[in-house]
Amino acid sequence: MTDINITIEDIKIGGSANDNSQSEGKVAKIVLFKGQLDETNVDEKAKLIYALLEQNPKNLHLLMNFEGLEYMNSKAIGYLTDWYSKISEGSGKMVIAMAHPNILDILEVVGLTQLIKCLPTVDEAKLELLDTSGITNSNQGGDNSSLIAA
Amino acid sequence: MENVTTQHIDDKGQKMIEITITMPTQAYFLSGIRDFTLTLIKNMTNFSEQWAYRFQSIVDELCNNAIEHGSKEGEIIKIVFQNNPKDFIQIMVEDTGTAAQHMKADEINKLIESRKKQNALNGLIRGRGLPKIVSEWTDELEFTDTEKGGIRVRVKKFLNDPKLKQAIASNDPTHIVLN
Repeated sequence: MTDINITIEDIKIGGSANDNSQSEGKVAKIVLFKGQLDETNVDEKAKLIYALLEQNPKNLHLLMNFEGLEYMNSKAIGYLTDWYSKISEGSGKMVIAMAHPNILDILEVVGLTQLIKCLPTVDEAKLELLDTSGITNSNQGGDNSSLIAA
Repeated sequence: MENVTTQHIDDKGQKMIEITITMPTQAYFLSGIRDFTLTLIKNMTNFSEQWAYRFQSIVDELCNNAIEHGSKEGEIIKIVFQNNPKDFIQIMVEDTGTAAQHMKADEINKLIESRKKQNALNGLIRGRGLPKIVSEWTDELEFTDTEKGGIRVRVKKFLNDPKLKQAIASNDPTHIVLN
């Protein structure tokens, strides 16, 4: 099996000590990926995220930290799309942070950067999770800047 | 995995290198094929690093398709890389046609055409590899039925493709691409 390590942590996306995500009814989590998602591991690892969705069917705010993700295949993209749909249906939000150029490139070719916000830093991704307007100031993908960076 | 490398002169008198790899139908060999593809494209062709990663995905998707839909467990698939350093790279993947859900070339072509039209949120986990990734990133994509009852998929990417020029230009920090 190809190496992939996925860890899930709670995050605070509010600005002050009293302003935490739990008090607003939001559940905010950061999912860190390290390694490669391919045919040998993606079905098994996807169960972790589905369990998280099951535990938090409403208002789940998920930050996918792709800093350590080296590769993802089309099935992994399929799962990502499904998680995004389920989270959106539950009035939650999902964003991607720190994706490598090759990951952004593949997300872009399947059209996902048009749907899921991809931000260059975790801090910007946290801000995006807080933002309810739907307006993004610096989408990492979805335009030609990602190709230039690649 | 086994591989054979040959070098010959093509119809235009240009030197071409051909590498053939045979691989058991087990998905855990795919990471090795991906590493090999990345190294090959970076070191033996004139394609950019961005395209090396794209070919990595293309080969992974083609091989996985041959394993999952084309061949029974315990058999082998064949992967052929043909590199003409000044003109193109061509990759062929051949399965045995023994998988339970094996399809004919015509059926695959129709399926891919129908899936090209689907949007990103189509509710499916599968079905993006060939129609979205492989098709978008190659100039030629062709499926043929083999004499032995399997499928041979052939993809080709030319160096003089306009999309490729954009990718090369993008590596130049002084060059701004406006679309």
